[in-house]
Amino acid sequence: MRRIHGIGLINAVFSVAILFSGFLQAAPKSPEGDFWHRIDLISKSPLGDLGAKPFQSRDRIRYFHAQTILLQPDTVQAFASQFQDDAGNDTLFQIRSKEGYPISYFRKIKTSVCFDNKCRLLDIVLYWNVTGRYLGFELPEGEFLSKTEHEPFKPEEYTRLNDLLADPFSPLANFSYEELVPKTDPAAAGLDAVSSATSKNVLDYVVVGAVYTTYKMWHFVYGSAQKEVISLTEKRLSPGFLLKILESPDSGDKIWALNHIRGQVELTPVLRNTVLSFIDNNRFNLAERAINALSPSELKSDSLQQLLFQKFPQVNYTLKNLIVTKFKDAPQLTKTVKTALAIQLKSTNGELLSNILDLFKQQKVADPETGRIIAGLLRSENNFLAQKAFSFLKSANIDDKQVVEQLNAYKSKHQL
Amino acid sequence: MEKIKRRSALSSLGALSLGVAAPVLSKGEVLSHPYKLTKQTLKTDILVIGGGTAGVVAAIQAARAGRKTILVENGSQLGGTTTTGGVAYPGIFFAWGKQVIGGIGWEMVQEAVALNDDTLPDFSIPHGKNHPRHQVRLNGQLYAMLIEEKAVEAGVQIRFYETPTSAVFQKGNWMVQTVGKGTSTQIVCNQLIDCTGNAYTASLAGFDLLREATTQPGTLMFKLEGYDFKSLDLKVIKSRYDEAVAKGELVKSDFRNNIVGLLKSAGDNIQHVLGADSTTSETHTVANLKGRSSLLQTLRFLRTLPGCEKTRLADVQNETAVRETYRIDGHYKITHEDYVTGKIFDDSVSYSYYPIDVHDENGVVPDHLKEGVVPTVPLRALIPKNSRNFLVAGRCVSSDRLANSALRVQASCMAMGQAAGAAAVLASMQNKTPLDVPMKDLRKLIEEHGGIVPVSTQKG
Repeated sequence: MRRIHGIGLINAVFSVAILFSGFLQAAPKSPEGDFWHRIDLISKSPLGDLGAKPFQSRDRIRYFHAQTILLQPDTVQAFASQFQDDAGNDTLFQIRSKEGYPISYFRKIKTSVCFDNKCRLLDIVLYWNVTGRYLGFELPEGEFLSKTEHEPFKPEEYTRLNDLLADPFSPLANFSYEELVPKTDPAAAGLDAVSSATSKNVLDYVVVGAVYTTYKMWHFVYGSAQKEVISLTEKRLSPGFLLKILESPDSGDKIWALNHIRGQVELTPVLRNTVLSFIDNNRFNLAERAINALSPSELKSDSLQQLLFQKFPQVNYTLKNLIVTKFKDAPQLTKTVKTALAIQLKSTNGELLSNILDLFKQQKVADPETGRIIAGLLRSENNFLAQKAFSFLKSANIDDKQVVEQLNAYKSKHQL
Repeated sequence: MEKIKRRSALSSLGALSLGVAAPVLSKGEVLSHPYKLTKQTLKTDILVIGGGTAGVVAAIQAARAGRKTILVENGSQLGGTTTTGGVAYPGIFFAWGKQVIGGIGWEMVQEAVALNDDTLPDFSIPHGKNHPRHQVRLNGQLYAMLIEEKAVEAGVQIRFYETPTSAVFQKGNWMVQTVGKGTSTQIVCNQLIDCTGNAYTASLAGFDLLREATTQPGTLMFKLEGYDFKSLDLKVIKSRYDEAVAKGELVKSDFRNNIVGLLKSAGDNIQHVLGADSTTSETHTVANLKGRSSLLQTLRFLRTLPGCEKTRLADVQNETAVRETYRIDGHYKITHEDYVTGKIFDDSVSYSYYPIDVHDENGVVPDHLKEGVVPTVPLRALIPKNSRNFLVAGRCVSSDRLANSALRVQASCMAMGQAAGAAAVLASMQNKTPLDVPMKDLRKLIEEHGGIVPVSTQKG
């Protein structure tokens, strides 16, 4: 991050002033050591209208998707970076709530897109959510997007563009310029699909007649600015902020938040309960990431272990296995959980049984009560279960007469 | 005296001859006798032929349920198309936001992902044309080791480098003769599961098979590097490619007539080997020779193209992976209509989820399932007509060609493998043929091992 000053500073102020009718305050040093500029919003701004629905006012065309965080914007910070693209400037703006949480980002793009042997300026503001997810776009007052022959976009084409830009997995990522429009005439290179037909493979991913516009915008959205958005958000992580992201309607946002808990923020009681609430059968990714979010140090807590185990009877086989595996991270297995899992052994099969025994081995479980339950498996008609029990008991050295007798009986039966 | 002299001379000659014939042994060497083919008879509850995508799951399921299980595999490792074939993205396990294939296959996939620090895709994203995003990418070789460990741990007796030569049903058991490197083995088993992918054991056993006049092409997986795709002049490259095809230097069907696709994919699932068939040593040899020869020829051509002069072969699989060969004529044939409507049968034992996906010489255009549709596999489609104590799992499932083009994918084969393994276990324990195993028992066993059995009240 470098300090904005001189011409860069003026440009940044100018851009923001146009967009938000804001004013620039002094540039304090940010807590992260970066220099940024704070712009207070003093009048009703378009930021207040950032909603999920496309919006087209009389003077400004704007299309947006669902926002991650629904807090009201309060301040804007300007960050300078070196994006090394042709967007026209290197300033990324972070919009913050009154609580100081980032709620979205925007960048003003001024670049040229050529079509019909003429180039025209693409003047647009791109917005991102705090997780780097595309949020929307906004055109300056009086501006509009156009296709071939300067034909303005229709509303449905703006909607389509907005949807196409929201696709992080678009094949546009891997299309080369050469593939966008098959060249029939060398003079047509770089044009926006007029004289040549657009490659049929591309048509599903672009606004027809605005191939390069779509392509360029998509690459701005998912280029270096997106990485910077994520990086800036990561510097503002806190339990309260992640709780807000976890309220997002977008599952990708939730996964992002769950991936940024372990080792990064304290698992406060509220955050812990929210994380655990994602462990259910209906949303595998969220459940899997939620279990993953619990760190070994947090699993010292008996109450967390018990809360996690409360999920066990409610979830499917896959998640049961993940919960058992997670307990291997605990410095010590809580007695109640150990006892409950031992009881589970009586009615468990296959990998789950194997996994619980592995957990007991790793946790050095050797109490007679658990030992007797496991020794009961030695009599199973299922060789797999009996062998698993034998393998565990052989190394557990459980000091219990009943267990020893059953172990010896098994050895004798199988001539071991 | 003369006689004595002669006898003495002969004796000396004999000693001399022996000295010439016997090798001079260095320190630590011992004289080894010529290898004699080991003939043996093994007895087991369940025999699985083919340790590929379905077979390894079937064997693990059978062993974990406590049955003595042997797994015969003619290659050197488990996993089939996922590992040896290099198609290490065994989707698809989730459909319309719900997991539809779980159990042993999913357990293995998930562990491979975790051990390689990979991440699972977001399964909540919509399907349709986005279905490749649901693919779980694996480290194939890691996966091969992991599933081998699981099979061994379950108690499966693995026999690599072996293949069956006959299968005869006698007095309630199957007698399967196999040959391998220096082995000739008769395996007596109560239940036999054919997971060869080619219904090869079913054929040996004398059951009817079905096959298309033209089958889908196979693919040799490889990886190219040494060029920057985005900087290539694709127009020039396409033109040079067309010239080479016109001159007969390249065969257009080898890479779907799509040189740009080849360069873009860098070899990932782009080659087509027409007529590839892995059923016998001879047919699979042909498929391998064709795949490698076309790759070499194309590699040499690529290195003549502007921007591709330094193209290198970073990796190539050991064999051509095959999509389609034979299918059994089962008690039920899953139709295209059944598949695309998500028909649920009284004896549905597993789900399958994939678009109708028939590759031909021009490539493939997947026909995606309608929202909410999740097809199922009935037990009857895993059992050849007129058979006893015999099951199949995997792409040779009884189905028409279009249904088969979707059923053949790995996740579906894993689910079928678990169902076949469980059905064999119960048949063996209850002294029945798999067709007579109560569905209630089968569902219970599959679910106890984490598998997902279609719910009969659900409408497709």
